[in-house]
Amino acid sequence: MKTFLKILLASSLAISASAKEIKLLNVSYDPTRELYTEYNAAFAKYWKAKTGDDVTISQSHGGSGKQAQSVIAGLEADVVTLALSYDIDAISQQAKLLPADWQTRLPNDSTPYTSTIVFLVRKGNPKGIKDWDDLVKKDVSVVVPNPKTSGGARWAYLAAYAYALETSGHDDAKAKDFITKLYKNVPILDSGARGSTITFAQRGIGDVLLAWENEAHLALKEFGDDKFEIVTPPLSILAEPPVAVVDKNAKRHGTTEVATAYLNYLYSDEGQEIAAKNFYRPRNETVATKYAANFTQLKLVTVDQEFGGWTKAQATHFADGGVFDQIYQP
Amino acid sequence: MKINQLLIATFVGAQFTVTALADDATTNSTEAAEIEVLKQEIQKLDQKVSELETQHQAQQPVADSADKQQIQDLDQKVRILSRERELDQDAAATAAKSAPKITLGSGGFGFSSADSNFVATIHGLIQVDSRTFSQDDHVQGNDSILLRRARPIITGTVYHDFDFNFTPEFGNATPGATSAASTPSIYDAYVNYHYSPEFQLEAGRFKPPVGLEYLQSDTYTSFNERSLASDLIPGRDLGFELHGDIAGGLVSYAAGIFNGVGDNQRNTTDIGFQNDREFDGRLFVQPFKATSIAALQNFGVGAGGSWGSSSITNTLGLPNTTGGGSTSYGYSTDGQQQFYAYSSTTVAAHTHWRFSPQGYYYYGPFGLLGEYVISDQGVENSATLKTADLRNTAWEISGGWVLTGEDASYNGVTPRHSFDPRNGGWGALQVVARYAELNIDSAAFPNFASAATSASAAQAWSLGLNWYLNRNIRVNASYSHTTFTGGGAASATTAPASVSSHPEDVFFTRVQLAF
Repeated sequence: MKTFLKILLASSLAISASAKEIKLLNVSYDPTRELYTEYNAAFAKYWKAKTGDDVTISQSHGGSGKQAQSVIAGLEADVVTLALSYDIDAISQQAKLLPADWQTRLPNDSTPYTSTIVFLVRKGNPKGIKDWDDLVKKDVSVVVPNPKTSGGARWAYLAAYAYALETSGHDDAKAKDFITKLYKNVPILDSGARGSTITFAQRGIGDVLLAWENEAHLALKEFGDDKFEIVTPPLSILAEPPVAVVDKNAKRHGTTEVATAYLNYLYSDEGQEIAAKNFYRPRNETVATKYAANFTQLKLVTVDQEFGGWTKAQATHFADGGVFDQIYQP
Repeated sequence: MKINQLLIATFVGAQFTVTALADDATTNSTEAAEIEVLKQEIQKLDQKVSELETQHQAQQPVADSADKQQIQDLDQKVRILSRERELDQDAAATAAKSAPKITLGSGGFGFSSADSNFVATIHGLIQVDSRTFSQDDHVQGNDSILLRRARPIITGTVYHDFDFNFTPEFGNATPGATSAASTPSIYDAYVNYHYSPEFQLEAGRFKPPVGLEYLQSDTYTSFNERSLASDLIPGRDLGFELHGDIAGGLVSYAAGIFNGVGDNQRNTTDIGFQNDREFDGRLFVQPFKATSIAALQNFGVGAGGSWGSSSITNTLGLPNTTGGGSTSYGYSTDGQQQFYAYSSTTVAAHTHWRFSPQGYYYYGPFGLLGEYVISDQGVENSATLKTADLRNTAWEISGGWVLTGEDASYNGVTPRHSFDPRNGGWGALQVVARYAELNIDSAAFPNFASAATSASAAQAWSLGLNWYLNRNIRVNASYSHTTFTGGGAASATTAPASVSSHPEDVFFTRVQLAF
């Protein structure tokens, strides 16, 4: 009997000591596919070395607003890495899946990397596009996603609006007039940033694509710098895509620890290097200096400065009946 | 081009004129002057031609540039329209993925969420029967046309794993009853947690897992009424059941705890007849199901049983009261007439267990189903306080042959060609036959039942013809002949004596709609 108990105990210990297989779901926005493909592999290696456990991270991508709604509707994300804080706020407020103060839990307002909006034009820049006011010329066709569904599109819209405010002495009527003219030059609205890249680069539509900086670099890499070139305007917006653990989902899946570590590791040297290599502006100054050549210096305004924060910007510009609905007629 | 031709013609004409005049020039200086004038005219024309040519060449690139721009604009418009169509198609595909689905068909009318996690299906069962008895001059009122079953059935799933069934009955809720026959009641109402085919947990009111024929759907039974063997099987009851199919149905198991009901009783009171519960279980194997031996794939054999112990005496544990207007507890014939009844002072007591070995075999158009049942009923005469364990037994065997060649099965026959005489479709036709017996324990007489009025055994054979017009409509006709041992007191006018006094001969018909 004693022998039997010993065998049983040893078996139990062996079972409890064996490696676990953990699955995580990262629900992200459109242009982060390549970033997280590389990052997930690095994190899995790091986690295996640290704990001995195997972690498999699944990715889901789409327009940031649509992704947030999917999580609210029941998509079982362990972590969300979305385009803007408003979308994670929506998950917190509507589905109560994480606390309202989620943005205070990680450094830099839970934004491990930043980005901005730049112009991708056809090789040789045939329309001579250099700055935002070139986009409202009658013969210029602009490609940008729908700000109702795409986080990147909201950043692009606000960048243009901020330019108009800055150059008009913060005359809101003039800024509204500017943004109206700009969207009159938009022939088609995709639901996400990746869709707009396809419209511009693969379907050959438009003269300029308003794109995430990393998405523009990716287009050059994928389609060739003999076809396109990046124009960085003198002024744009500081885009801060945040990340958060979806507490209730992670708790239910038993993945809180690994999900938290997954996001923390984004701030590590390796995480920051991967972000920089994928053309996201790193927070870590050492890494930022190392990759400075990847990023053109420009004046970056913030949503807080120009629009009083995301909640106000959302209500004023993108809510039903907001400025965008007023100025854009498909 | 036209200007060039004009100038050339003019020039050639002028040359002819000059030649003609030159012949006379030697003598006429006036003509020489005129020639000079003409030469100057030619030079002017030549200059004009050059100017026109230069002008024409200058205009050509402007026209080319405008055309090119127009082509580029058109190209962009075509690309935009093409991309808009592409996006519309993507949006439509995405919307279709998230749109609820509606299905209408022979399996019912269904609604489903896009991911199939939420499903609701409306089914229905209507059975219009007729029973015509012959040689029953002692019994009145048993011939009838009746709505045997009228059930709207709602089944479905919520959150992918939780199935439900809600089945009210608006037809003849109490088979064989001649009054209050159509009192609406709830037949099935249960929730089934469907973790996997192997592991399911069911709670609510449903059929306990004992009898093979009784577990067969009302839609698919060979005859209008189940056999005498099912008289000893517990009817729908309230409880919890763990069940599942292992290895794709090679082994099916079910085990549950229920309130407990009497033979052929349906628990309508939502209370247990005893402080202790009844335990029911069944194991059924189809050993050749996964093999390539077609002739044995639909062979199944198993056994079901129940066990309950009552700490108090009661009447709820006794059999059904229906049949021939009787209010006593007893057993009924195919014609739903009571041929055996416990005396009015008999109550259920102590233990009640059942055991039922069972099996079926289907191959091509041939089908066979058999079942043996022991119902060991503890009883007490409340007047004399005498007790006994009455071991009543029954068995049946039924077989069928689908004349039109379709496969027979436990779940009915699907006609190869639906009834459509205009196009030569006549449905499927099946002949069925059955023999069944029920034997009452001799210890029942005389302390718990009257040998003068109740039969101690019944033997029934039946023949029938089932016509499956399509998947939803079926028409039956059958004849049943039942003989009795004992009972049948002379000149009796009420069941069970009036029923057991002579053989029962009854002709059934049925029109059934099931979807």
